[in-house]
Amino acid sequence: MKNKWTLWALAAVLAMGFAAAEKVHIMWSGAITGPTSDAGKYYAQGIEDYCSWANDTGYVSGVEFVCETRDDQYNNANTLRNFEEAVDRGDPVFLGYSTGGTLQLKPLVQEVGVPFIPASYHIGNIDPPDNDYIFLPIASYSEQVIAVLEYIAKVSPGAKVAMAIHPSPFGRAPVEDAKKAAGELGIEIVEVQEMAKGLDYTATLKRFENKGVQYIVYQNVAGPVANMIKDAKRLGLKVKHAGAHYAGGPDLLRLAGDAAEGFLWVTAYYMPHEDNAAAKFVKELGAKYGRPADAIESVHYPSGMLAAAIAIEAIKEAGEAGKKISAESVYQALLKMNWPNKLAVGPVTYSKDDHVGVDQLRVLEAKNGTFLPVTEPFSSSLFRKVHYGK
Amino acid sequence: MSYFFQLLVSGIVVGSVYALAALGFVLIYKASRVINFAHGHFIAIGAFTAYALATSLGLSVWIAAALALAFTAIVGYFTERIFLKPLVGQPIISVIMVTIGLASVFGGLIHMTPYGSGNFSLPDFLPEGGVSFAGISVSYPQLLAVVFTGVFLAAFGWFFQRSTVGIAMRAVADDQMASMSLGVSVEKVFALAWAAAGVTAAAAGLIVGAISGLNLEGLVGIGLKVFPVVILGGLDSIPGAVVGGIIIGILENLAAGYLDAYIPGGGTGDVFPFLVLLLVLWFKPHGLFGTEEIERV
Repeated sequence: MKNKWTLWALAAVLAMGFAAAEKVHIMWSGAITGPTSDAGKYYAQGIEDYCSWANDTGYVSGVEFVCETRDDQYNNANTLRNFEEAVDRGDPVFLGYSTGGTLQLKPLVQEVGVPFIPASYHIGNIDPPDNDYIFLPIASYSEQVIAVLEYIAKVSPGAKVAMAIHPSPFGRAPVEDAKKAAGELGIEIVEVQEMAKGLDYTATLKRFENKGVQYIVYQNVAGPVANMIKDAKRLGLKVKHAGAHYAGGPDLLRLAGDAAEGFLWVTAYYMPHEDNAAAKFVKELGAKYGRPADAIESVHYPSGMLAAAIAIEAIKEAGEAGKKISAESVYQALLKMNWPNKLAVGPVTYSKDDHVGVDQLRVLEAKNGTFLPVTEPFSSSLFRKVHYGK
Repeated sequence: MSYFFQLLVSGIVVGSVYALAALGFVLIYKASRVINFAHGHFIAIGAFTAYALATSLGLSVWIAAALALAFTAIVGYFTERIFLKPLVGQPIISVIMVTIGLASVFGGLIHMTPYGSGNFSLPDFLPEGGVSFAGISVSYPQLLAVVFTGVFLAAFGWFFQRSTVGIAMRAVADDQMASMSLGVSVEKVFALAWAAAGVTAAAAGLIVGAISGLNLEGLVGIGLKVFPVVILGGLDSIPGAVVGGIIIGILENLAAGYLDAYIPGGGTGDVFPFLVLLLVLWFKPHGLFGTEEIERV
């Protein structure tokens, strides 16, 4: 009889617990199909899996996350519709994707006051005006490119550099800062070429060769970069290649094969083959939720995880501060965030004046089909000077 | 000077891919006067079929390619039978809208496969490197593009000049009513034209895959590049498709090589084909080799 009452009491407590679990919606709007979906599909999977992990482990007590990944097909109008739906539902945070979509939504994000974490690391997302509620997960494209220029200046003083960029705001984002930084570093940016995905880059590469270019720095996605470096190898050019976060990674190695050897890549994420807690965590989650090897190895998978992780951590901190989970409480939690996360090479830190999460980056080099770090995590010493003038 | 010749050779190679892609487009127009806006998707279907067969079943790329050509021909054949045949005699705008709709449907179907997003590389099936002479370099996949274009041009040349079906196709293109009165099955000719277009589209997809990897957006984009090619060469001319493709390829490369340096950001190679398209439409709307239709009122 006593056991029966104990069981009833336990059931009642559990039922109360379930009843009290608050459902918190987090929406991501990005390209699962259409342009850049090669990155977007893995990014979405990273978000889904981190949310599932948070729910399965009861990471935030009393909260059940309902994470939706919506395919906006890289179309700003779709992104806007998804964002409006999330705002109307009262979502406390929104996960974005493209540069164009984020820049277009800035005034609305400012107006509604919902924290917004994009996959685009364009510095314009967090520059004034309308920049209070947007938070970059890692250092901006500008900082990434300047970091790799700093490395180039160190190993090849006075080098001649060309930039090959995506023909979009995403591609153009770091150009002005890179030019200023090159001046400070004593290297020369001889040409900036916009390059769409094409069948042949001979003309561009031969022109670069005629101008004595030693390094090509890419702010692009892996597909066109792979084709360009394969063409450079075919033409027998001695030029070296380097790129920002979305230009490189295991996807590039898969697409370019041997031609990627020596590629210098800057990112804030660990590689899955590394022997550390971050790589172990990513592989564990990928295996747990049945992701294929190409997803687990893609840098876009942990990138999506980090965006979701930042949102969930802010919700956790808002809850622990005894506040109702809302856009405002999550925003306040983000402004105080100093979180030694499991995914990137540095902690996620934000403040009122700093909306860049992970400030540290590493330069990695492709060697024998693997990206290996050639620097310790570091912050660009020049970025703040050239971008903010301080 | 070797700079110029390298650009010229690269232009011919790229132009060969455009020509191959344009052949199917011209075949359909020549036989049935239908402008196929889903042509880029046929290119993608052929390329991804070969990739799927090579990677999932472990077939050699050559066998997978042969099967992909056959499969895309079947898709083309049944596309005509199911969607285009009922539109015979209907206004041209209806037919155009159906091919636009088909592009959307094929795009959606490809997205339902694992190949809708992402970048893929065909397994290595050609030797590494390429051929170099006098400082000019061409990779083996690029050489294959030229060879494929030559083979298809010769095959279609023979087909249209010598074979009964080919002659029937030309007859249908000239005058449908007269052909029918001579016992030519116009319906069969239309369907065969779509099947043949499927073969050339798949061949173009395979070449693009070998040169620059497989990506849905990129493959469909080749279908768009076909428009300036066929406008320049003439919508109903097979030699025109080849000449137009190679001219566009060369102009793209020369523009990128000589003009980009003077334009901030460059990108003239991407714009040039469409500039040519505008100029041709202005001065020679039927293209270099297209049939000039005279309407008497």
